[in-house]
Amino acid sequence: MSYMLPHLENGWQVDQAILAEEDRVVVVRFGHDWDPTCMQMDETLFKIAPKVKNFAVVYLVDITKVPDFNKMYELYDPCTAMFFFRNKHIMVDLGTGNNNKINWAVTDGQELIDIIETVYRGARKGRGLVISPKDYSTKYKY
Amino acid sequence: MSLAEELMADFDDDDDEDLEDIPDLGENLKGVKKEELDDDIEEATEEPMDTTKYASVHDVAKLARSDEYLALVKQLEVELKRPQDEVKVTAPLEADPQYKLIVKLSHVAADIDNEINVIHKFVRDKYEKRFPELETLVPNALTYLATVQLLGNEINSKVVKEQLGGILDASTCMVVSVTVSTTQGVKLEPNELETVMDACNLAAQLHVNRLEMHQLVEWRMALIAPNLVALLGSTTTAHLVSQAGGLSPLATMPSCNVQVLGKTKKNLIGFSTVSTNPHHGFIYFHQLVQKMPPDLKNKAAKILAAKVTLVARIDAQHESSNGEKGAEFLALVESKFEKMLEPPPVKANKALPKPLDKASKKRGGRRTRKMKERLGMTDLRKSANRMNFGELGEDVMQEHMGFDIGQVKTGNVTGGRIRTAAVDQKTRARMSQKMMRQMERQKAAGGMTSIRSKMAGTASSVTFTPIQGLEIINPAAQEQQQCSSTSNYFSSSGSFVNIDRMTL
Repeated sequence: MSYMLPHLENGWQVDQAILAEEDRVVVVRFGHDWDPTCMQMDETLFKIAPKVKNFAVVYLVDITKVPDFNKMYELYDPCTAMFFFRNKHIMVDLGTGNNNKINWAVTDGQELIDIIETVYRGARKGRGLVISPKDYSTKYKY
Repeated sequence: MSLAEELMADFDDDDDEDLEDIPDLGENLKGVKKEELDDDIEEATEEPMDTTKYASVHDVAKLARSDEYLALVKQLEVELKRPQDEVKVTAPLEADPQYKLIVKLSHVAADIDNEINVIHKFVRDKYEKRFPELETLVPNALTYLATVQLLGNEINSKVVKEQLGGILDASTCMVVSVTVSTTQGVKLEPNELETVMDACNLAAQLHVNRLEMHQLVEWRMALIAPNLVALLGSTTTAHLVSQAGGLSPLATMPSCNVQVLGKTKKNLIGFSTVSTNPHHGFIYFHQLVQKMPPDLKNKAAKILAAKVTLVARIDAQHESSNGEKGAEFLALVESKFEKMLEPPPVKANKALPKPLDKASKKRGGRRTRKMKERLGMTDLRKSANRMNFGELGEDVMQEHMGFDIGQVKTGNVTGGRIRTAAVDQKTRARMSQKMMRQMERQKAAGGMTSIRSKMAGTASSVTFTPIQGLEIINPAAQEQQQCSSTSNYFSSSGSFVNIDRMTL
């Protein structure tokens, strides 16, 4: 369902998208539309986009067409989701050690809504790092 | 009938006998010659077995032989052959001959219904001798009369049963055919049969005249009620005006009565009454209402009946002669029906609200601080959370590695003894005034409690004595001693009562 979400075609558009939103979290998904992991992530993003439109907006960026942010944010995974609020990158402590991004496909819509809600609450209070309501570490996998 | 009319009938009989010339002239009962009818009257009066008052249908149904009715029927036939273009209605509507004729025809059409009912009663009384069950099987007047005309005296013949299907519906035809074979009726005399057939023919003639009146009323309805014709069409308008007896009675009728004009009574021979339609008249069977889905037909009939009443009042006041008000009401009715048929609006999904944290309503104050002290961490817990630097902790349990008691043992608060820790006044369990008062009362009565007492927890109320070996202290013994002290009889301190003085 990536064709139902807005795409950003160049670096200027990405900058303007992050700058323009004053009161909403900007969720940017970096990757490719043809990637299977990005397909799953886009399915979840499309499902939750109408529900969270009051406090979040979702954009898709192709890392081949827009290579400007690859080195800056270390975008080397097939699918990367990042959160921005008022031109500021909000980090999320998910338990994986990498607080900058979500680099896997979140298939549960409610989990993603909870993460975005936590990001919104913390970002409005001026925090740069928020703790995810669910622990995604490997502690509970083995 | 009244007594005077009976005397008049007897008087007419005497006159006819005097004027009679040829008694055996012709056998055609449908003719206009009166000698045959008079002869029939003469023969019937001589019958000693006649149990009914009237021997001829004309004794009870006098409308068809009145001069006014005959003149009206002739005028009706003249008007039916007249071209439509020649008909014009003048400005004062009540003074116009066409309107007078139409109003008169409407009244006569209503009178014909009563006349047919009277003939129906007459025929039922006469035909009851032959087929008494037919009256309950066929309640409709015209259907009953047609059935009687077909059956006659030979009610059991095969040809009659085949022709019966053309008059009655399938279920009634079946029931009548079965009842024919078990009826207790006897054959009618020839003169009685002629009387019954004459009555049936008269009813059929009246019905034909009524249909012609409806036809003419329908043709002239566009001149009399143009708005009603614009709203309903000329056929339904003619039905309503004819059923109501005219335009003025229709205008004064409430809409709930207009809605049921034209309803028919239905005979239920053992069938259920669930599927009957008690309030379905001309309005219900109008095409505007019949186009609606079944669950909206009743509501549509009510709406249309309300507008029909308003439009009838406009026509009764002779306003809007070109029917524009009727067209406006028709557009209003159609828009109401169209709005009833609209689907409900779709529900839109609501987005989640912004997850804003609300400000706390509680800031501080004396009550909040007391509650925090009461529910806060105790000193013992704080000591257990502290660790000494450089010392190896002692594991309390084998499976809980790392769980120790911190500075509880080595701290200077209690000197190493856990059980004699000082009681923290902030977290002390408190009692209400009511409980304190109850404990004081219980202590005075001899009871004891573990709260606020100096006894050890391992003390028991069972004591061993050298005499009995085992003795249980009863806490309620004090109360019994107090009760025994109030006794008057058998008391060591009491004295004798002098009975002799009471006897005297």
